[in-house]
Amino acid sequence: MNQRIRDRLKEKLEERVTFDSELLEVYDHDIGEIPSIIMSMINCKPEAAIVAKSNQDVIDTLSIANEFGIAVTPRGQGSSGYGGAIPTNGGIVLDMACMNKIISINKEPLTVDVEPGIIWNNLSFELRKIGLDNSICPTSAPSSTVGGWFPKGGVGLGSMRYGSVRDVVTEIDVIDLDCKVRTYSGSDMEIYHQTCGIFGVIVRLRLKCIKAERIVPYGVLLPNTESAQSFIIKARERLKPYTIILHSSGYIRMRKQENYENGNGTQDFHALIAFEESNKDDITLKSIIDESAGKSLSKETAMEEWEDRFYPMRIKKFGPSVLVGEFYLPEKCFDRAWTEIEKDLANDTLGMEAVVVNDNKMAVLVYILDNAKSMFYQIRMAKALRPLGIALRYGGSFYTAGLWLANNSKELFGMKKYNYIVNTKKERDSKLLLNPGKIIPPKIRQIPLLNICVFMNLISKLMSPIAKISIYKNRYKSVFNEKHGE
Amino acid sequence: MTKNSKLSLFDELGLSESLDYALSTCARCGFCKPVCPTHPFGGGFEAFSPRSKIYHLKKIKDGKGELTNDWVERLYQCTTCERCVEVCQTDIPLVQIWEAARAESVKMGSGPMPAHKKFGKFVEEFDNPYGEPKAERDRWLLPDIKPSEKAEILLFGGCTCSYKMPPMLQTGAKILTRVGIPFCYAGGKEVCCSSPILRTGQIESAKRLIGSNVDLFNEMGVKKIVTPCSGCSKTLRHDYPVWAKHLGKKWDIKVVHFSEIYVDLLRQKKLKPVRELKRKVTYHDPCHLGRAQNIYDEPREILNSIPGIELIEMDFKRKDSKCCGAGGGVKANYPDMATEISNSRVKEAEETGADTLVTMCPFCQTSFTQSLKALNSPLQFAGVEELLLESLE
Repeated sequence: MNQRIRDRLKEKLEERVTFDSELLEVYDHDIGEIPSIIMSMINCKPEAAIVAKSNQDVIDTLSIANEFGIAVTPRGQGSSGYGGAIPTNGGIVLDMACMNKIISINKEPLTVDVEPGIIWNNLSFELRKIGLDNSICPTSAPSSTVGGWFPKGGVGLGSMRYGSVRDVVTEIDVIDLDCKVRTYSGSDMEIYHQTCGIFGVIVRLRLKCIKAERIVPYGVLLPNTESAQSFIIKARERLKPYTIILHSSGYIRMRKQENYENGNGTQDFHALIAFEESNKDDITLKSIIDESAGKSLSKETAMEEWEDRFYPMRIKKFGPSVLVGEFYLPEKCFDRAWTEIEKDLANDTLGMEAVVVNDNKMAVLVYILDNAKSMFYQIRMAKALRPLGIALRYGGSFYTAGLWLANNSKELFGMKKYNYIVNTKKERDSKLLLNPGKIIPPKIRQIPLLNICVFMNLISKLMSPIAKISIYKNRYKSVFNEKHGE
Repeated sequence: MTKNSKLSLFDELGLSESLDYALSTCARCGFCKPVCPTHPFGGGFEAFSPRSKIYHLKKIKDGKGELTNDWVERLYQCTTCERCVEVCQTDIPLVQIWEAARAESVKMGSGPMPAHKKFGKFVEEFDNPYGEPKAERDRWLLPDIKPSEKAEILLFGGCTCSYKMPPMLQTGAKILTRVGIPFCYAGGKEVCCSSPILRTGQIESAKRLIGSNVDLFNEMGVKKIVTPCSGCSKTLRHDYPVWAKHLGKKWDIKVVHFSEIYVDLLRQKKLKPVRELKRKVTYHDPCHLGRAQNIYDEPREILNSIPGIELIEMDFKRKDSKCCGAGGGVKANYPDMATEISNSRVKEAEETGADTLVTMCPFCQTSFTQSLKALNSPLQFAGVEELLLESLE
């Protein structure tokens, strides 16, 4: 970035822009632990970072970027692992986390207008003061932003009852590369959903909210996959749960930092089923538990697990790293798919967390413990895609694309929407300035003929059989247990 | 710290492997960022967040980064309030790590910050960070307070209470005297507990102070130490056992904060608050007392025992309590930052509709009394122990 561009940015953005390499170094990653060899294939180091405080800051940034042909990567809290907030062509990172105000609360219908940087938990806290609440939120709600979740395309707690973030957001304001603020609603928003901000920067979202109610969680022990699947299907049919979260026994044991090998312990599941107080139905729930051969867990256990709902990464204490696979799975296929996944990774330390969502689906996260410092970690990374491969055979689908799974955008969106996205991108942003490398994969810096996703896919396929037999065993237990020790 | 170096304080304490592991477990989830009271003072840039500090320290541990002066400055811009530790998914001892990194910066010559150097020098000369005469350490002692020559309980005054806020100490001593619990006091032989020195990375000075106090306590045959200061009690309770062991000294002493003594006495009916105090109070949990020592219930139990007191809680309370801005050397070196943090907490207290803001920490008390005055706040300030004493027969 030459001095003239820096001067222009400084003139407009003043103290809200930095070129300091120390301040920039933390914008080259998100929560994913990607080996440095892969990161070196893209230009993930930004040359400037801007903390936007207003729409005008976004307009000034995009205007200068457009004028000089500089890439702009919008970022919320970087709390996803798909790479959507990672630069692939240097340029500017546009940090939106400080645009975090509630703009207005509307009574009829019940909606709230917010700036994109507002954190889900903070929004809930403010809404609860006036008897309202978010209808849904991600399990990363203590840090992730509303404006980051929509372009990622997420489901989470409450999605079983209220749908995905796409269903909950009813209107957005977007600033496109032409620097105009436009309002979209209904199907006009579609192109901004799950596309990582490649068409524009969202500066306002209108969300449906609900009347706040006490959430009542119940814990259920289910003896096997068949029983877990039966419980979920029956609960959806006969009850109105706010959410159901399913944990494998492996996951529960990882949380307790117990050494174990998959296939070497019980294969039961904990289901956490939570209701808005007005919807709870103890009698029907009990009969479904009985029909599914389950057992009720104590109120205390249910409450403990509910209070820990935002803390899935506690398992990293027993890692210190985790390989994560994420996908949607039709709930009717859970039994067969999970049985096969467990068999496939029979020697690994494996855990599963699934959030039951809308459309009779589950959003499944598979965790395989590992250590990013281990010399075989880069090979074993290929293992993270094995559960996804199995899920796809059982009618599963991709959760989102971001950067690392951009090559799968066709499957994610379907050909019609994918072609529309690609063509619209060409029309509006032919120089690929807005969040380049997302949805449309980036080229490898050293081999521009090859895109990084094809390369990673190829390597993963080659490495997958070796990865499967390379097993990581942790025997180290964190000594720092004073705050949340089991 | 330069490339390929380690955080040598952790090496010295035999915790290097644990540190290495803890740094590797960071999930980068960022839960620590929105709760950090000092992050907003970095202009909103990510690098001022706890998770970024961990990321950079991990790079240093891996030999890929350096502890530059700017990173050192960022590490000192922390009140050590432990809100980040409280929300951390993997229980990383972040504040311990910042303190170790600060110690490393002192070794390198880039730390501590100027204000910390000043109180470091005072400690070397006067055994207290205020530069007050050693001989006057017991000037808070009222004529009717007579410590015993020998007793199992030692009253540890601490520098702030001894020199700057005698009422907290006087109240404690009066109550012990009133109920007939014998206590001894080391007077001018007591030296700074080392908290401000330890927190700002001045380890060699801290070792001297800790060693001196531990020897004194052992000579006096002390079994239990009580102090009104949350900073002293945190340090005596958590740091002294570690450092005494490291220095090869015996440590078999129980440390309690005065709030714990008061609650015991109330439960035993040895203290009977009878005088009605018509006040609506809101209680601020000091970071060093609450998150650091898990003392949340005791101050509330004391307040609830006083007739006429109505306790109204703030939204952010107990483990989620916000910081007053004073800790970790921030008030000394970054006074504007500390004031803004304190003002924000006072505004939260005002929103409760209480007429009095109460707490049990001399540092919080200093911050809040200054903020109340600057903001021309309708709130009054009182110490919990002060209200207790007022309500006794």
